[in-house]
Amino acid sequence: MKRVLIIDDAATVRMYHRKILEDCGFAVDEAVNGLEALEKAISTPYDLFIVDINMPKMDGYRFMAELRSRSEFQQVPAIMVSTESETKDSDRAFAAGANFYLIKPARPVELTTSVRLMLGEPA
Amino acid sequence: MALVRSTQPALGQIQEGGARPSRSVLFMQLGSTDPNIRRVAAMELGGDVEAVAELLAQLADEEDHAVRQAIVSSLAAIGGASVVEGVLGYLGSDDAGLRNDVIDLLKDQADAIAPHMPRLLADPDPDVRIFAVNILESLKHPKVVDWLIAVIETDRHINVCATAVDLIGEVGDARARVPLARLEERFADEPFITFAVASALDKIAA
Repeated sequence: MKRVLIIDDAATVRMYHRKILEDCGFAVDEAVNGLEALEKAISTPYDLFIVDINMPKMDGYRFMAELRSRSEFQQVPAIMVSTESETKDSDRAFAAGANFYLIKPARPVELTTSVRLMLGEPA
Repeated sequence: MALVRSTQPALGQIQEGGARPSRSVLFMQLGSTDPNIRRVAAMELGGDVEAVAELLAQLADEEDHAVRQAIVSSLAAIGGASVVEGVLGYLGSDDAGLRNDVIDLLKDQADAIAPHMPRLLADPDPDVRIFAVNILESLKHPKVVDWLIAVIETDRHINVCATAVDLIGEVGDARARVPLARLEERFADEPFITFAVASALDKIAA
């Protein structure tokens, strides 16, 4: 079973993404900011990260920079999600090391399709 | 002519563990080319009400993340209307870290931020409205629930409403039940709002 870490400070968003992904058979963990996510990533192997941008303590860009600076995480796919819909926002997410960019709120099919795509599974 | 040895540190010199340098020296050090000196100077100015203008001016030009954090932390220690007015503009910054630091500062400034809240919640930029709702998260002010209900009743942007719904669930105020139902009707084709409203109503009932 593929394991996904959802990183978002909004409890409802975490619950929503968790329900969608668990219904599709993924194992899901949660973190409320980048700092907690880094601690979890170091102790637990994840197949995918779903990363919000605006979070307290450590935002999504800084989390991605920390993640990609470590050799063991350079190949783990990451989807950044944000309310920010301008091109510069997605450009910045890709520059930070994201593999995919989703605009909130993602519809269930959008989320599951992008997750499967990142994990190399059939949609 | 007698030469008198200066007792003040030169620009670029950090005094570790000694007496706090004078305000004028710290202001000069804020302009140092060394980010560590700027950071220490900013920290030393924490709580100094006479330093608000200089700290805000440096924040506007500062590119080093650690120095910006030190400046915002020192401004937070000062607080008050002039600090709040000086940092409000950074809610629209492209720097996510700076925005979050400013949001944290504003959460502790209930009296000073309250007069600005109606304008922030009506800002043309939906991201600024989201950050305004984020400020309400831990703002100890009697109008918080009224502001949140007004957001879900009137705001047209789904993510602004979603952020407010998340917080309404945490606050758990029964006055939000009917406005939540109306919000769900307004965004009837949005699965996330349906989910968020159900979750908030569950929390209110609990």
